[in-house]
Amino acid sequence: MRRLIATAALLLAGLAPPVASPSVACASEGPHAALVVDTGQDVRTYCVSLGAPSVDGLDLIRLAGRQHGLAYSLGFGGQAVCSLAGVGVSGDDCFSEYPDFWGYWHGNGSGGWAWSGVGPASAQIGDGDVEGWVWGTGDSGASHRAPPGLAFDDVCEPSGGDDGTGSGGGDHGGGGGSGDGGDAGADGGAPVASPTPTPSPRERERPRDRTRPSASASAAAPSDEVDIRAASSPPVDPPGGPPAGLFLALAVVTVLVGGGVRQLRVRRGAT
Amino acid sequence: MSGDRSALHPGAWIVWSTSAGACAFVTTNPVYLLLLVAVAWFVYAARRVPGPTARSFRIFLVAGIVTMLVRTALVLLGTITISSTLFAALEGLRLATILVIFGTFNAVTDPFGVVRLAPRRFHEPALAAALALSIAPRTVASVQRVREAQRLRGIRVSPLRSLPALAVPVLENGMEDALTLAESMDARGHGRGRRTRYRPQVWSPVAVITTATASLAGAFFVWAAVGGWAELDPPVAPLGWPEVDSWLLGMAVLLAVPGVLPESER
Repeated sequence: MRRLIATAALLLAGLAPPVASPSVACASEGPHAALVVDTGQDVRTYCVSLGAPSVDGLDLIRLAGRQHGLAYSLGFGGQAVCSLAGVGVSGDDCFSEYPDFWGYWHGNGSGGWAWSGVGPASAQIGDGDVEGWVWGTGDSGASHRAPPGLAFDDVCEPSGGDDGTGSGGGDHGGGGGSGDGGDAGADGGAPVASPTPTPSPRERERPRDRTRPSASASAAAPSDEVDIRAASSPPVDPPGGPPAGLFLALAVVTVLVGGGVRQLRVRRGAT
Repeated sequence: MSGDRSALHPGAWIVWSTSAGACAFVTTNPVYLLLLVAVAWFVYAARRVPGPTARSFRIFLVAGIVTMLVRTALVLLGTITISSTLFAALEGLRLATILVIFGTFNAVTDPFGVVRLAPRRFHEPALAAALALSIAPRTVASVQRVREAQRLRGIRVSPLRSLPALAVPVLENGMEDALTLAESMDARGHGRGRRTRYRPQVWSPVAVITTATASLAGAFFVWAAVGGWAELDPPVAPLGWPEVDSWLLGMAVLLAVPGVLPESER
């Protein structure tokens, strides 16, 4: 799966630079992080513009308050989270309703969650990160309820992605126009391949069609493209099987253990 | 094979074990942790100092496994799900890895060599620390000596019944060891302000390389934890395959460097 994405990404880079622009365009608007607040009754999500390459977990909450009106209060000298979205503790002792408290989770960007080993003030949040807060009981990731499986794109994709493609398409519109002469034949083929005949706005984000025929005129290209779009929409796809690195690590472990056994034997033989 | 030939400067081992411990401390990713255990085993096999302390690797390995089982069993006190069990097991594995690294440190270095590193002013606390560090391997060695003596005298050694008969001589041995050590240190002028530099420890190239590679690896892992650019805690809810960053993989392997460097360079 990882390899597939990698090859897809390579194909993508080689074939059509503008297609890669949704994520790139998002980055050009500045770094964003996704904030998931699970109060127990409802789940709220915020796509927060960071305004800096990285902020800490408390800043993320402050930014969400400023940008999206998330109500919050901090305690313990502003180091801990007491209440979010009106749920939690009102005073300064954030753990006065213990065993209920705000559990802090880090997302892996594709729906998985890991319990944060550090407080929000020590966490570094950068572009594309997913952060989760859950009101509930449990002292650790073992017993606390995890946030719902939301990926970064579930929170941040809709407006940012579309805007990105739109502006990207606009930039390349001029180029597309100039290349129209050589493009005509290919464009004739494209609507047949794609199930939905697309209106003009879609045409504008289609400069990749211009480059594709020059790279490969084969009929395989359209199906590749579908794959690419499916695979590239979540940047980190939840892998179906173990990642390749796992096998590499396993091989290294085997070599090390084997090497150790051999060394012990050699030394035992020497004495 | 003299014990000194393969001995690196204890400072290099302190840096190595601190760095490896830091690597284990910041992650619950089982891939990195198992890799660190494998690295520790490799280094132990290549570098152990013959003698009673060499056993400490096995002692700490067993202690680590027990720790991991206990940590996992603690899940029974709370809600039991696959996620919670796995989370607890991974935390236990992290603890076990740190213990194994500590065991390796004990096996590859002479605890009293470490004492000599301490500035004179901190000599007493350092001595106490060294005694504390070496208590486990010395106790086990002492148990084995007593067992052997009992067997030689034809005393049937049944593990439970002979416990009192075992405990008294072992405790006595420990006391004697400490007294002997104190006397010998006194005789050599420790704690009186005049210390001889008998066989000064040198920073060999191998020790320098060990220190450099280990601190690089430790710094990398800490950087990954602070900077958050690599997934150090695998997702447990829902379960997911742990990601393996090739940089961190390489850094963990770098800790095995002292195991492949030439043994004797003096």
